[in-house]
Amino acid sequence: MILFRYRTLFFWLALALSLWQLFQGGYLHAKALLAQHLIKHAWHETLEDLQQHKPWPWADTWPVGRLRVPSHNIDLYVLAGDSGRTLAFGPGHRSGTALPGEPGTTLISAHRDTHFSFLKKLTTGDELLFQGINGQWQHYWVSNNIIVHQSDAIADSHENTLALVTCYPFNAIMPGGPLRYVVFAETQKMTPAPKAAEIIKI
Amino acid sequence: MPRKARWVKQQTGGAMTTVSHKTTNIDHRSTTSYAWDEAWGLLSMLLGYLVICAIFLVLLATQARADETMAEIEHLDDVSQGSLLFQNPHGRYLQAPSLNTDVAIHVSGMIVRAKVRQAFKNNSDAWVEGIYVFPLPEDAAVDHMRMQIGERVIEGQIKEREEAKRTYDQARQAGKKSALIEQERPNLFTNSVANIGPHETVTIEIEYQQLLRYEAGQFRLRFPLTITPRYIPGQPIQQEENVSQFNGLGWSVNTNQVPDASRITPPLWQGEGKLNPVSLVIELNAGFPLTELKSPYHAIQTSAHKAIHTITLANEQNYADRDFELSWTPEAAHAPRAALFTEEMGAELYHLLMVLPPQPEQNKTQRLPREVIYIIDTSGSMSGISIQQARQALLLALDRLQPEDTFNVIAFNSSINLLFGQALPASNHNLDAARRYVNTLRANGGTNIRPALEAALNIQNESAALRQVVFLTDGSVGNEAELFSMIHQRLGQSRLFTVGIGSAPNSHFMHKAAQFGRGSFTYIGDVNEVQSKMKALFQKLETPLMRELQADFGNAEAEVYPKRLPDLYAGEPLIISTKTNLNTHTIIISGKRQQSTWQNSIQLDQGMKGRGIGTLWARRKIADLMDQQHEGANKEIIKQQIIATALQHHLVSKHTSLVAVDATPSRPESEAIEQQAMPVNLPHGQVHEKIFGLRPRTATAAPLHLTLGALFLLLTLLLKPRRTIEGA
Repeated sequence: MILFRYRTLFFWLALALSLWQLFQGGYLHAKALLAQHLIKHAWHETLEDLQQHKPWPWADTWPVGRLRVPSHNIDLYVLAGDSGRTLAFGPGHRSGTALPGEPGTTLISAHRDTHFSFLKKLTTGDELLFQGINGQWQHYWVSNNIIVHQSDAIADSHENTLALVTCYPFNAIMPGGPLRYVVFAETQKMTPAPKAAEIIKI
Repeated sequence: MPRKARWVKQQTGGAMTTVSHKTTNIDHRSTTSYAWDEAWGLLSMLLGYLVICAIFLVLLATQARADETMAEIEHLDDVSQGSLLFQNPHGRYLQAPSLNTDVAIHVSGMIVRAKVRQAFKNNSDAWVEGIYVFPLPEDAAVDHMRMQIGERVIEGQIKEREEAKRTYDQARQAGKKSALIEQERPNLFTNSVANIGPHETVTIEIEYQQLLRYEAGQFRLRFPLTITPRYIPGQPIQQEENVSQFNGLGWSVNTNQVPDASRITPPLWQGEGKLNPVSLVIELNAGFPLTELKSPYHAIQTSAHKAIHTITLANEQNYADRDFELSWTPEAAHAPRAALFTEEMGAELYHLLMVLPPQPEQNKTQRLPREVIYIIDTSGSMSGISIQQARQALLLALDRLQPEDTFNVIAFNSSINLLFGQALPASNHNLDAARRYVNTLRANGGTNIRPALEAALNIQNESAALRQVVFLTDGSVGNEAELFSMIHQRLGQSRLFTVGIGSAPNSHFMHKAAQFGRGSFTYIGDVNEVQSKMKALFQKLETPLMRELQADFGNAEAEVYPKRLPDLYAGEPLIISTKTNLNTHTIIISGKRQQSTWQNSIQLDQGMKGRGIGTLWARRKIADLMDQQHEGANKEIIKQQIIATALQHHLVSKHTSLVAVDATPSRPESEAIEQQAMPVNLPHGQVHEKIFGLRPRTATAAPLHLTLGALFLLLTLLLKPRRTIEGA
């Protein structure tokens, strides 16, 4: 019957669509992963000669820093600018915001499902390291995190502060949601708030 | 199931019945199972077809959405700079409504009557609902609201909150103009105005009654004009699936510690310049000659006609970005020591009584050693001028300590940091260490007050004769109720003194925290004031207070608020509101000093007639009921009492709202309505020369692709070619 012939057709169609979608998803992850290796080389060259180096000839961005989170085994190369094209390859540094060691807020954005999926695991007191172009590692400690609407803004600070931004919720299926998850880290480590029981002992 | 099988049989009727006619001995069971196979095949086919259609639709929609987003951005570029835009849920950018505020305040003796007019102007071609979160004084008794459309005026009705909201929503749906005033906090209200037509203006007039503050011989009137962004602690409680329904009214999602966070975090204006121009007129009939009349944070113009002073703002353009304050001092001979106001409402008599106990005799009372814990807020909202004020104030306070005192400093933002492990003697060495520490304090991070207060209240040294906690903050938090309960439970022998810092501190938090902490509240709004205001605070900290105050009404029936009279510090008057059924009797007020007792008797029939004394009584009763709730009283009982009081006196409260509805619909049914939260200015002096938007799209479509891939894979299993048909 004619319907059953369609069934076979649909089977192949579904299989093709499935492979296509899986490939698309995998491609995004692969791109995010592989690009970091190319950027790594560019960053090492930058550290050598203090010049900007594009990770590949047709790139419109270059690495401006390296972000490490030892407690979560994270090692990322941060790119200049935070356009959608840049974020596909690595975390992006908002141009015009401070760089490590400078007074002000350093704003770094990345995708919640690739480079910055670890943000959800960060807690107050976690140590972050950010290497600037001079090779110096600046230490930061996570101070707090907030969930805000994308129409909101975060204020620049007088102090050197790191603001890591990604989309929220982390496991939403559809991209383009209106919420952002922001982790703040400061150059000073504050004692984590003791629990009530601990306070009595002090 | 049988029914479904039958249905399938009928549907596939034709071919099958002919087969069964020929083979007459075919048994019933196999026919059914054959039909079942057939049905299953068809069903999975239909299902598969449906799923594919659905997925194609989703893909198309996603694509369309992305296209639309691109279009929006282009559209945004077209709009001239400086105009305020908002995005509707369909992604269209529209001109946002603008807001003008006119404030007229009439002061008569100690009573304040104010009218606040908020004009919502719709600048777009669409129909709009404007939602404005705005501050009022924390003890304002809001009792009237009027909606003005052109020449027409519609008076607001007081209703239970839910009922008022329903009335408003129904009117909104029906296309009628309507307005709703809801209380979020005693000093924070929401004004919603629905169905403002294209390029139309709707004005909402709000009226309230208030009692002036009188302290240290000075009267003070405050009018808050903006909201310092509140810190919202806790975990989000919104279901993740519902996140897309984020209504855009507030920048925060609701959390377990602040369940109404989205209602108290209006969007911040990020553009050039300031929003919400304000005009202010004050008619001051003080009732006595003045020696001083000043406004510390705004330039003012004054003119006097007979005994009435008229005060206006001197600058041509003023914006709602900092609290307005006006203070005046009576000539020494006219400084009031007591005041009594009366209002008769039906069979009930309301009194408002102010008594200022005489200053204690200045004999050298022995100074008791004390333990002072300073808490300093170093959160992000304190950045800029505020942290400078706080540091200066704290340094002054350290200078004031004596060697026999002990002290400690706790700095907090998202976490806390104690200067010493425990309170140490105020030796030169320790004080130097503290000064160095204070100078390094910088403002950043969240405002997590609870751990800091807990640390200050938990380590109590029982040997100290006097234990005082001095808390410097802007109080910009959303979890006030939780903190009040905590202070009430853990206060012990300590006394909590709050020092409000910045252009727009949360005065509700400051006053109530000090009340639950049985201390007092000092406000510093400007760097130049630090010296004088801290001096006033030291006087309070060092002058013995009046305790165990009592008001004796003899055998008259009286409902008195506050129920428990507070301790009094230097320069503070006692203010009580009463409702009685008798006019001719005496009340006796008494209190204890360090070495003596004080007593004063007042004839209740000598009061001045005043309007709105009953309203003030009701407002204080509601405040007292709310306090009881923070102290652990049954919520439902308290709620019913508040509703009864508020409805009787036509007052807005946590559980009652004012709502006004136009009689006839104005929005055609074919037109949609756009909801828009009115942005507020950042308080003056907050360091926000630069603020960064969070627009980058920080999610890839990878999860979507992978989910779709998995779905299709599932579909292939369902559509796997099968051989069951062979039987046919």
